[in-house]
Amino acid sequence: MKTSRGAAILAIITAALLILPLVVHDTFVLRVLTEGIMWIGLAIAFDVIAGYTGYLNFGHGAFFGIGAYTIGILMMQAHLPFWVALPLGGLAAALTALIAGIPTLRLKGAYFAIATWALSRAIQQLALNVEFTGGPDGMRLEAFLNPLFFYYLMLITVGVIFLILWYLLERAPFGLKLKAIREDEEGAKALGLNPTMLKMQSFILSAIPTGILGGIYAYWITFIDPSSTLGDLVSDQAVVMVVFGGMGTLFGPALGAILIFAFKTIFWAYLSDFQLLYLIILGALIAISVIFIPNGLWGTLVKRKAVARPQQKPEPASEPAALSAVAVPEEGN
Amino acid sequence: MTEPILKVNSVTKCFGGLTAVDDVSFSVEKGEIVGLIGPNGAGKTTLFNVISGYYAPTKGSVVFQGNDISGKPPYHLAGVGIGRTFQVVKPFAGLSVLENVTIASFLKHPKKADAERHAWQVLETTGLADRAHLSAAGLTLAGRKRLEISKALALDPSFLLLDEVVAGLNPTEADRTVELIMKLKAQGLTILIVEHIMRVIMNISDRLVVLNFGKKIAEGTPAEVSSDPHVVQAYFGEEAA
Repeated sequence: MKTSRGAAILAIITAALLILPLVVHDTFVLRVLTEGIMWIGLAIAFDVIAGYTGYLNFGHGAFFGIGAYTIGILMMQAHLPFWVALPLGGLAAALTALIAGIPTLRLKGAYFAIATWALSRAIQQLALNVEFTGGPDGMRLEAFLNPLFFYYLMLITVGVIFLILWYLLERAPFGLKLKAIREDEEGAKALGLNPTMLKMQSFILSAIPTGILGGIYAYWITFIDPSSTLGDLVSDQAVVMVVFGGMGTLFGPALGAILIFAFKTIFWAYLSDFQLLYLIILGALIAISVIFIPNGLWGTLVKRKAVARPQQKPEPASEPAALSAVAVPEEGN
Repeated sequence: MTEPILKVNSVTKCFGGLTAVDDVSFSVEKGEIVGLIGPNGAGKTTLFNVISGYYAPTKGSVVFQGNDISGKPPYHLAGVGIGRTFQVVKPFAGLSVLENVTIASFLKHPKKADAERHAWQVLETTGLADRAHLSAAGLTLAGRKRLEISKALALDPSFLLLDEVVAGLNPTEADRTVELIMKLKAQGLTILIVEHIMRVIMNISDRLVVLNFGKKIAEGTPAEVSSDPHVVQAYFGEEAA
């Protein structure tokens, strides 16, 4: 029952998002929605490595920036069409994850966070100092001004990312295996899991969609520079969205992305004189989430529900079910 | 006699200047329970870690079912049929008991539904089915030790390494675990067990291997070993011997 209701809600939201542009013609609103959807994609991609695998990647923004720059360079300097450049943006991010992952995935906890943060700073400095990125002046892409195109492109891309990740992490064994790594890497080895391999797969799975979204962003915004695409903000916001929404739940980060992005939009629309405050609030929100809702919004909601409705055991297909009925007296827990 | 399932050939394991396991050799025949005993710090757990692939031996080799497995990683050994538990239990604390065991079941049952069904069967055997939906962190020590065994069993191993699965349990719980171990033996599983509780180890083992300061000091049936002067000396000191 629970899943079918969830599916119904998702279907309604999807339908609403699909027909929305037919009703709303305001370009500003469309633009805000497009960016909001992009953030959902960035947050759920970040959740793969941070939430499911337990490796807090403070360099998530680097994948985004590398995707953006790959598309920019391929379109403007190699004159490749967008549809050819876009998957290569994802591939570039995957390669970055592969190379960066070999040394950094050996680290744990705060050390991994620091190393990935430092790496993303290094990549930003690189983009500032080499010629072909345009350095601090950034890079202008050929303008394709069609808000509707980008709205639908973003919606479909994020929808597909969500479905793929949901299947891999919640339906296929892969998600549970990643959680085993998160909970106890040494213990997981004894059960036949290869942590090095799984962590790398998870890192790459997190990088590919992020690179693709960076590519779409670059073509959509038509201008990229090291501070907008390779700055701290992309990583920091992703961290807050996922921690606040609920790590390792996929739905939580999506919810967190919507709430934080809405807050950001309102804040910058009405309180743009206090931009500095935004980062302070973001930081405070991480601290508050970690202390008061360690499972995030979604995790807390789901737990409440689980307590209210006692778990019933799905009957296994074979005979042992009868055995347990005899052996086990009713237990309230 | 047929080829032993496990052969430990002069295994030595050093950590820097410390020799934790010193030239130990023994073998385990198919279907037996071999107890590995010795005073604290004798090197039992280190030897376990060498056999299960967590440490590579400094010298010597470990041969399992005719293949040299020394230095192979643990996840490879799980695949060839070696299941192990940890003395310091390693539950996936944030996951449910069922999820814990399902993860181990993936080894032989790559499909999630099959793995879950298999996990239920294992939990029925080990008596944890009624707690399947509890978080692993919410289990008592006895429950967590049972979960360790469940996870190792879910691999469908042919050889099981049990590291102090009875220690710390009350007598009733201990008896249930012993019962479970005997049931596993009856099913044809070969077991190497480390245990401190003599009442248990003397009763269930077909043979014992005794370590002291990393060296093997005795090997034989429980009766032989308990009257061996070296063993008595190791446990009770010079005068008693």
